[in-house]
Amino acid sequence: MKCRVCRGPAVVDVRRHNANFCEEHFLKLCRDQVEKAIHDHRMLEPGDRVLVAVSGGKDSLALWDILLQLGYETDGLYLGLGIGDYSSESGRFATGFAKERGLNLEEVDISSEYGFDIPGGSRAARRAPCSACGLTKRHLFDEAATRGSYDALATGHNLDDEAAVLLGNVLRWEHEYLGRQRPVLPAGDGFPKKIKPLVRLGEREMAAYCVLRGIDYMVEECPMAEGNRHLAYKEALNGIEDRSPGTKHSFYFGFQERTSVLFAGAGDSAGRPTRCDRCGAPGNSAVCAFCRLMERAGGRLPAAPEPVPVELGATRSNGQGSATT
Amino acid sequence: MDGPMAVSALLSKLEIPRDTVLVIRDGTLVPGDAMLGPDDHIEIRPVISGGRS
Ligand code: SF4
Ligand SMILES: [Zn+2]
Ligand SMILES: [Zn+2]
Repeated sequence: MKCRVCRGPAVVDVRRHNANFCEEHFLKLCRDQVEKAIHDHRMLEPGDRVLVAVSGGKDSLALWDILLQLGYETDGLYLGLGIGDYSSESGRFATGFAKERGLNLEEVDISSEYGFDIPGGSRAARRAPCSACGLTKRHLFDEAATRGSYDALATGHNLDDEAAVLLGNVLRWEHEYLGRQRPVLPAGDGFPKKIKPLVRLGEREMAAYCVLRGIDYMVEECPMAEGNRHLAYKEALNGIEDRSPGTKHSFYFGFQERTSVLFAGAGDSAGRPTRCDRCGAPGNSAVCAFCRLMERAGGRLPAAPEPVPVELGATRSNGQGSATT
Repeated sequence: MDGPMAVSALLSKLEIPRDTVLVIRDGTLVPGDAMLGPDDHIEIRPVISGGRS
């Protein structure tokens, strides 16, 4: 096997491109594909501040690594979802990555901050675990990106993820989801801009990227994923891709370039935009889906932070120290 | 395994689709046409994640 670029010995094959690459040129390919996605879909401007949703898995850590190399200012946010050993171990990979590189990673443990975990929330709300988990992550990542005034929230969804979701949405003609299945969603109505810079890369490429860059990641699967529909769609697509490489790419990007416009607007919030009575999140119901899930699972919002006493030299009074600025 | 064997041959013998795994030896990737000896320790690492959110 020879590298397509330099004819040196190759270490990885990418069948979608019908090509093999050496380490140097494979890593360059990954960076170039992310750069192209960012450029083609106008995800970011030079110098933008980005919040990376970090899970400790291959995709989010590779994404963070590539965004840093491309020169973006980034912070990470890791959510402890309370899924037993899976959560504690993936948390170690996320913090290990950030620590080794001196990066800023915020960690939020939902059991201690919000009083529930994903297995409990899923049972209490009678929702599939991945659905309870997905809504929790979307809510907390959106909220953090807005609170921190980031230019965008970046997630590690890759081509395999997006093609599988697209297949699921097409099989059921979920026109509202199809209307929102884009690599970038602009900011608006209190939501941050959301970007998926890995849409041009497959999951095998992301795993290979991590191995070659020496990034330790959580290889083991979340135990809640087993048997979900998403995995079945991935398997179906892998069977087709095996016989005709490039199918996932043309399925997903053909939709983006030619068909997605037919569904434009279908997923935009129906009803009057409002704020959640409990947490203030944007949405269109009085209590948002996250707060409903949390309350059914017996959780609660964290207490508002205590005002920090500020002692002003000139007005120091009786030690109550509640001066405001 | 008797005698050297190519990575791709090993994977088809185990009936593992090549696109669903990486083969790793001593912390680095082993390409499909590389030969494996009987004493090589390799990891066959799955790359498909199942979560959807
Ligand atoms: S597999 Fe499902 S439950 Fe597990 S982390 Fe992913 S979305 Fe959450
Ligand atoms: Zn090369
Ligand atoms: Zn709420």
